[in-house]
Amino acid sequence: MTQPSQPISADRALLNITRRLEFRMVLLALILAIALSFLSPYFLTKNNLFNVLDQSVVIGIVAVGMTFVILTGGIDLSVGSVAGLTGVILGLAVQHFPLPIAILFAVGGGAGVGLVSGFLIAYFGLASFVVTLGMMAIGRSLAYIFSGQTAISNIPSAMSSLVYTNIGGIPSNVLFLGVLYLLAWGYLTYTKGGRTIYAIGSNKEAARAAGLNVFFYSVLPYVISGALAAVAITFSIAQILSADPLAGNAMELDAIAAVVIGGASLFGGRGSILGTLIGVLIMVMIRNGLNLMGISPFWQGSAIGSIIIIALLVESIVSRRVAR
Amino acid sequence: MKPDVPNKMIEAMFSAVGIFKTFDRTKALADANLDLLGGEIHGLLGANGAGKSTLSKVISGHVIPDEGQLIYRGQPLVLRSTRDALNNGIAIVMQETSLVPDLTVAENIFLPELGQKGRLSYSSLYKRGEALLATLGQQGELPLDIEVRRLSAAQRQLVEIAKALGVQAKLIIFDEPTASLSPSEVDRLFDIMTRLRDNGNALVFVSHRLEEVFEITDRVTVMREGRTVLASHPTDTLSQSELIRTMVGHDLASIYSRPHALKATSEPIALDVKGLEALPMVRSVSFSVQEGEILGLGGLVGAGRSEAAEAIFGLRPRNAGTISISGKVVDPKKPADAIKAGMGFVAEDRRTQNIVPHLSVKENLLLAHLGAHKGFGLGYASRDKQVASLLESLGLPADRLLDANMLNFSGGMQQKIIIARWLLLEPRVLILDEPTKGVDIGTRSSIYSLLRDIAAKGVAVVVISSDFEELLGLSDRIVVISDGYSVADLPSALLDKEKLTLLAAPRTSMARNTAMLTELAKE
Repeated sequence: MTQPSQPISADRALLNITRRLEFRMVLLALILAIALSFLSPYFLTKNNLFNVLDQSVVIGIVAVGMTFVILTGGIDLSVGSVAGLTGVILGLAVQHFPLPIAILFAVGGGAGVGLVSGFLIAYFGLASFVVTLGMMAIGRSLAYIFSGQTAISNIPSAMSSLVYTNIGGIPSNVLFLGVLYLLAWGYLTYTKGGRTIYAIGSNKEAARAAGLNVFFYSVLPYVISGALAAVAITFSIAQILSADPLAGNAMELDAIAAVVIGGASLFGGRGSILGTLIGVLIMVMIRNGLNLMGISPFWQGSAIGSIIIIALLVESIVSRRVAR
Repeated sequence: MKPDVPNKMIEAMFSAVGIFKTFDRTKALADANLDLLGGEIHGLLGANGAGKSTLSKVISGHVIPDEGQLIYRGQPLVLRSTRDALNNGIAIVMQETSLVPDLTVAENIFLPELGQKGRLSYSSLYKRGEALLATLGQQGELPLDIEVRRLSAAQRQLVEIAKALGVQAKLIIFDEPTASLSPSEVDRLFDIMTRLRDNGNALVFVSHRLEEVFEITDRVTVMREGRTVLASHPTDTLSQSELIRTMVGHDLASIYSRPHALKATSEPIALDVKGLEALPMVRSVSFSVQEGEILGLGGLVGAGRSEAAEAIFGLRPRNAGTISISGKVVDPKKPADAIKAGMGFVAEDRRTQNIVPHLSVKENLLLAHLGAHKGFGLGYASRDKQVASLLESLGLPADRLLDANMLNFSGGMQQKIIIARWLLLEPRVLILDEPTKGVDIGTRSSIYSLLRDIAAKGVAVVVISSDFEELLGLSDRIVVISDGYSVADLPSALLDKEKLTLLAAPRTSMARNTAMLTELAKE
């Protein structure tokens, strides 16, 4: 049982790194990038790399909230329609209020939807899949009703400065994404709340018996997820200057796929923010590469779907080997 | 030990000869023997951990033995799975039922047939289901078309029995079948069992309840420490005290012979529980523990001890009763309240109730700290020194341990870490439910000395254990819980295994029990 204790050698440290799932996913992302740079000479240009980052912003923000939810063992199917609904709220509010207030309305609305879902799930013990499925339908329906079935296009063009400002040579939206990931990583790694979220997903009974605040930290991820869906759509609207009730359609699937590619377990307790970031980049790179190669958008679904499944299959086979 | 069948004229329907089974390092069965005749109800008895359940599982194909032979109708029988057993007509009716809650009664009864090819005729299922119930004398008692989920415990049991008959079982094992039944339901079950016996089936009745054993069985086999110590003895030539003596293993001393002198104790009361009720398992439990004392909560599995502890700790709603800690009444609605009041609780099932598998050993160790911590951050650093000295005193290597996965370690090591989790918070009361379950013998003694050290520092320690020897060796005082009531509160110096066995037996009839006590006193 007790082996002779030995100092952690360099070999062992290296082994520990390679055993980490993120490491293997970084490898996968690099392989993908190299393959894409061979397939399309344009891929590795600075412009296109910024393009990839720019395209990662919206899905990347939503995936942060999704990571929080999935870590607790739940799922949030409503993020796409919450994005649509809060986009419409933003589009309407910006007609009457200054932009910061309008954004506050949208983010508050998203957080409110998350609060309702989270409360229903944590207090009544309802299945997160079903509750957020219901919220998904309600959100989309309200988005149509509030918008009068058409996209709101008279968004003040000043809003585009949210996206098209460069700070130290980095576009503001990419910078925001970076800061958000840093904050989320810090929260999940170094705070009571973050560790409680992991503990709930890993073993809720044990977390409760140890005196952790299971209820509060079961609701919080849904609030964060809803609020971040609104933040994501804010950046999207700033880019296209239009609030479409259809916006965010199928966004939840992209976000879930990114989190899962990043190594999170849908049963909760396992996953990381770094993994999610890599998952997002892999998804966006694939899409970007296929566009560069001029492959029909109709084929892109098949390609992305296959890559998700193959990545997970390889991961499951490899991790079974490593575990032995 | 050879199985001796008293009546050699009747060929045994089933024999298990010299069965051995070891789980990890625990010997569950060491030379277990059982002989069954057609047309008898055979009691299988033994104290907690004697190996009754394991032997039942060997016979029903759930557990594959290391050694030994099964003989069925004169032929050697090798069981690789429960399906093998069912195909041979051997079925088990367990406490935790094997029914599918969302299928109907009829579908459950004939579940083994759903795997067969061909179309299913529901009308024939219903017809055959009714016929089965009729052989049990329960025609029309059970609607065949409702989902099992909606049935009571007793009705589910009836479905299990019908299911066993549905596969033409000739040997049926009843594992603690009366545990969750009311007296009238028990009568009905016994009526069914009698019918099955009269139809020539062999029935095994596994039970703690001696009154019921005397009421229903024809012969009994007693096991102790995995071994058959009394084989196929006719029930009506046994007395209750003889039976207890065989189960415990040595002669009974008179229960009144020792003086009831308690050692004078003056330590303040740390935990006081009065009239605790948490239905359905806990009916009236009262006890108190002094600072620095180890109190044992004894009783049979299912007597309501774990449930009482969970109710005290706020893991289970309470119907009545008061809990005070150091004289102050507390009302914990959730574990966090209990922890704030100064309690710690090591639950019975390490894997499902204590360990957070995805977190490192260090974070598991600091989990209760995390719950009690007030700040936004982790506050782990403030505990570094405490963790280091705690691990050292537990003999755990800190450098190799902290970043590792909890599940890589032995049960004993895990248990020490979980206990250490609470020690970090310096509780006034520490409750441990089966602290040495799944712990190897070597580590056991170090857990005992750990618990004594904790008590010596003034912590009130409450230990729940089904192992009476452990309870007697470890605790200063023992409170016995039986059928949800605390029935005795005695210093362990006045107790021994047989008295505990006697006190723990469910008291379905008070009069019979008093009689038994008087009889014991005479010896």
